[in-house]
Amino acid sequence: MVGTESKYLKENASFPFCKGCGHHHYVNYLDEALTKLNLDPEHVCIVSDIGCIGILDSLFSTPHTFHTTHGRSTAFATGIELADGILNDSKLKSIVVIGDGGSTIGLLHIVNAAMMNIDVTVLVANNFLYGMTGGQHSHFSPLDFVTPTTPAGNIVPPLDICSIVKSCGAQFVKQAVVTDKNLSSIVAEAIRYPGFALVEIFELCTEWATPFNKIDGKMLSSKVQFAEEDLPALRKEFSELYKEKILSVPLKKSDDGIEQKYSSPLRGTKRIVFAGTAGEKVQLASYLTMRAAIGSKLHATQKNDNPVTQGSGFSLSEVCLSSEEILYTGIDVPDVVIIASADGLKEVRANGILQRCRKNSLVLAEQTLPEFECGGTVLRLALRSLCTGSRASLSAFAAFNEITGWIPREAMNETFEQKFKEKSALYEKDIASLKPALAALLPKGVPV
Amino acid sequence: MIQNRMVIRTGNQMIAEGALQAGCQFFAGYPITPASGIYKAMIEQLPSKNGVAISAPDEISALAYCVGASARGAKTMTATSGPGWALMIETVQYALMTELPVVIAMVQRLGPSTGGATQNAQGDILFTEFCTSGGYTIPMFAPSTPQECFEVTTIAFKWAELLRTPVVILSDKEVGMMAEDVNYALLNSAPPWYRKEFSSKNGEPHITYNFKNGGDIPFFAPVGGKDKVTMTGSAHNKQGALQKNSPETLEVLRHLQQKIDVHKEEMAIVRLDEQEKADTLIISFGITHRTAREAVKRARSSGKRVRLANVISLFPIPSKQLIEAASNVKRIIVAEENMTGQYRSVIRHLFDGKEIIGVNAVGTMISPEMILSEIL
Repeated sequence: MVGTESKYLKENASFPFCKGCGHHHYVNYLDEALTKLNLDPEHVCIVSDIGCIGILDSLFSTPHTFHTTHGRSTAFATGIELADGILNDSKLKSIVVIGDGGSTIGLLHIVNAAMMNIDVTVLVANNFLYGMTGGQHSHFSPLDFVTPTTPAGNIVPPLDICSIVKSCGAQFVKQAVVTDKNLSSIVAEAIRYPGFALVEIFELCTEWATPFNKIDGKMLSSKVQFAEEDLPALRKEFSELYKEKILSVPLKKSDDGIEQKYSSPLRGTKRIVFAGTAGEKVQLASYLTMRAAIGSKLHATQKNDNPVTQGSGFSLSEVCLSSEEILYTGIDVPDVVIIASADGLKEVRANGILQRCRKNSLVLAEQTLPEFECGGTVLRLALRSLCTGSRASLSAFAAFNEITGWIPREAMNETFEQKFKEKSALYEKDIASLKPALAALLPKGVPV
Repeated sequence: MIQNRMVIRTGNQMIAEGALQAGCQFFAGYPITPASGIYKAMIEQLPSKNGVAISAPDEISALAYCVGASARGAKTMTATSGPGWALMIETVQYALMTELPVVIAMVQRLGPSTGGATQNAQGDILFTEFCTSGGYTIPMFAPSTPQECFEVTTIAFKWAELLRTPVVILSDKEVGMMAEDVNYALLNSAPPWYRKEFSSKNGEPHITYNFKNGGDIPFFAPVGGKDKVTMTGSAHNKQGALQKNSPETLEVLRHLQQKIDVHKEEMAIVRLDEQEKADTLIISFGITHRTAREAVKRARSSGKRVRLANVISLFPIPSKQLIEAASNVKRIIVAEENMTGQYRSVIRHLFDGKEIIGVNAVGTMISPEMILSEIL
């Protein structure tokens, strides 16, 4: 078959399809639909998939063509339309040309486009099998369908693409036989539709389907269920919705800059581990420590860890503070380990931090924790009863810092006030209780 | 001593900042530790700059959205880790074949398979680079600090746009997720670059993959613009027409590599920390480069003569710069956090006759001591 005169098709293009194959009609009806709509070819992009139907891009002379990978055509078209609808003038119409095989492998892309209601038209050429690769059955093959890979007949019921996309919120969903006279009108309506539209077009594969199956136009017509329905009320197209709700929404201004108005007397690097229970502000303790340190002209790094579920079990944070640029960010031998709970203890034991402690490592541990082996100097404090679990980590470090002076007290206070406002008084109270207890426990000769 | 106003940023956040600096207009993401921070930062910030930041239902879609948007003319980026990269490879190859620019931030974690989401590794170097059928070079840049994340991202965008090809930022969990003080006043960046656009002279039609010499870059026309575009992932001639092995199609295939090779020298970034009369060269990148700097500092303080090379442009391999870096040294140490010495395996041929040592680790950071013990 040869294409007739058209604004879109190549002149005298020789169609590469088998004799009697429905793809001939598919191409002509698509051309007719474009002609009916009188679309400017520069505003049309034919996004084709892999398979016999996918090679139709070579037949079109003027629209943009984008020949993609197997099943992915709808995802590429979604990207094109997002950029067109949101970043450009939204004039481009992307038409996905895909078979039943491509629709199977790329089902999620079709589902997602339907959910988004992106302005993409998907024209599924369903001939119930993979024609190009030797007639293998597909997820669209009817029951008892005979193919080279279902010689005894297909025993799995077919996938119903129209019901699937309907359930995903698609509003333009139709079916037709490729020989239907009104197919070009249906396709034109689908393209014009300002949102996701899908048309399932039933076809015969004369090479692989008809020789082995009782299949004819009547059988195909009996499959058409989504046909003459009225279109329901419009959902807003995705790009429109994005522009309205998301684009150009001003960024919430959060000035998280730190002014370096204090000076730390610390020289060299200190490596601190905070270990406790998720939800008890362990990582906040290390973050605020870091802020106060940077405000005192120190460098700081922070690494957090927690179980995959995030909100349960341990919470761990490693902080390095240094007067020099911090190069190696690991903590082989910690200077200070603060263990605020049993979850924290379990984790520092499991990941080897306790084992890596040396004599000069100070371990500030909640006093109710069971005995544990550790190479460092363990100081037990009533962290939880004096400060509560959620203040234990930060108050323990702040009390310790009062003694060592690594971070100037003013810098710590300012950080507390910025974060906790009037509640920073609670921390002041914690520090006042912890500091004498800690000072009494600190062994002589331990350098801080 | 650091000065001025500081902020706390992770490497992931600085990749997002770098993307904004480079003029990124489109980001599609799918969550994966340790790359999710980039996704989150882009969702937060890109719309306020009139860009699109979108959530995809999987990594396959995320990259396909980017490549589709790139065809429409947008500067695009996505971010992932090893398991997501595995899914993206099909579309990476498509972007390479269709000559569509896209930047992919690959934040490595411990593999294989799901591996360890929150454990560091530098084990995806070869997996990422050699993912194309045919072995085409994918430009790859590796930052080692939040500041470098910013700079490297602007460089990645520049080369993606200039060469019309996918470019990878190879980060790792430690670089990506560790927070650190950053001074914005000290940030470097490449100037924003946009692909060279086609404009018809004397009515000549647009030829999608037109070039004169193999190393030339075809002028770009967007899908949806006035010049017809014919894109395909199948082997094609300059017009974009599917062909098997016509001389022109083979010329197009060779061109895909030649255009990278021609710019190899310009892409090379190897930062040397020089020491006179050094007898040892240490080569490293990513998080391990920080460790190597620490090791070198200690080695020098004990009188050792060591030169240090930070390889930022891992691919194309900066052969000339690495050979120069190794001049007059007897011994070369390549430190990288993987089991078999992946980068060492692809650069060792450059150093014939010299002793080459690997310092490697799996599931744990390389420590300064591990490197120091190899410095004689």
